[in-house]
Amino acid sequence: MNPHHHPDIVTLMGYSSGGLSVAFAAVVSAHLSVCHLCRDRLRATDTIGGGLLGQQEGLALSEGAAERLLAKLEHTEPDTPTPPPELWRHDPDELPEPLWPYFGSSYKALRWKWIGPGIHHIRSHGADDGHLMLLRVKPGRSLPMHTHGGSELTMILRGAYDDTLGHFAPGDVADLDEDTEHQPVTAPGVPCICVAATDAPLRFSGWMARALQPFVRL
Amino acid sequence: MTQTASPHTDDPVYWSAQVTAVASRRDVDAFMRIFAYYGPRLQRYLVGLAVPAPQAEELVQETMLRIWRRAAMFDASRANLSTWMFRIARNLYIDSVRGEPHWLPIQDGLDRLDELPGEDGTTSTEAYADGVGLDRAIDGLPPQQARMIRMSYFEAKSHSEIARELHQPLGSVKSNLRRAFARLQAAMRNRP
Repeated sequence: MNPHHHPDIVTLMGYSSGGLSVAFAAVVSAHLSVCHLCRDRLRATDTIGGGLLGQQEGLALSEGAAERLLAKLEHTEPDTPTPPPELWRHDPDELPEPLWPYFGSSYKALRWKWIGPGIHHIRSHGADDGHLMLLRVKPGRSLPMHTHGGSELTMILRGAYDDTLGHFAPGDVADLDEDTEHQPVTAPGVPCICVAATDAPLRFSGWMARALQPFVRL
Repeated sequence: MTQTASPHTDDPVYWSAQVTAVASRRDVDAFMRIFAYYGPRLQRYLVGLAVPAPQAEELVQETMLRIWRRAAMFDASRANLSTWMFRIARNLYIDSVRGEPHWLPIQDGLDRLDELPGEDGTTSTEAYADGVGLDRAIDGLPPQQARMIRMSYFEAKSHSEIARELHQPLGSVKSNLRRAFARLQAAMRNRP
């Protein structure tokens, strides 16, 4: 998988500095698990953190801190290096591993809820007051025009969609801010499944949206 | 009791050598030199994130113990010690202070992914150095950008919180951070 659309570098800076919500961090982690380019970019943002850490004036530790640490060393064995992992080489029924805590590991086991014609969703368990969700949209379906009134980070897991920003296929991320108004159209073939993190409710505009809004409350 | 003088060096090569000494011969003196230099800096970082001092000290100890346990996995060609320590401390902070139970295992998994060749047979190789060049670039940032970078990394503020606090539109915070990144990235690629 070689994604073509990546999170904005400022989103990765937020991930690196600990400034993202759980929901956004989950989507970024899922993308990182399939994108070595972004793992490289993340090392650059972490290096900024390392540089800042090194530059700082230290803050004195309490007396005896060094002795306490030394005492612990005696009981601490080095970790045994384990062979490189086989994990995250997916079986096609598996979601990206960073999403397992929120949705489970298997596509087949997902319990979709209908929210509108051709659209199903699942709220994550546990994360962030429902700001993280899976969406499934049937092929060839046009989603109502919407702006976000906040940021949204979406990663395509299966299927594809097109909008004014381009073609989004599995692994791709749409990193959208509050000003973006877009109207994705899902590609023919298989349903489009994506994971989305939002920090504010989606706003749909147009009649379709008004019809949908009471159900959606995304 | 081992008394280790606190060295004053920001030379990444020196620090990589200390980690190598820990990895190859469990060199306690080298380890305590790392602690003497980075311990107080980690403490400053964590207290800056509003971690109460005693808890911050525990996290500093925990960070150091991870260095001790995992020194053999440190790869100086990929990251400097300060970057590695930053990651460990940040991960422990998100795990234990924020109480996000999934963060640590996910980070460990992502780290291990880089040990595998990519699907196209390549491994990620871009090296970033946080030596003198990066220090200078940080010092050379326009004040506005420098302030946002610090608020972001040292206070773990979200970009919208930074925007609110500085009374600026979110878009301008993001474009300032983007510009700052571009400058710093150029400096990181030029190893001193």
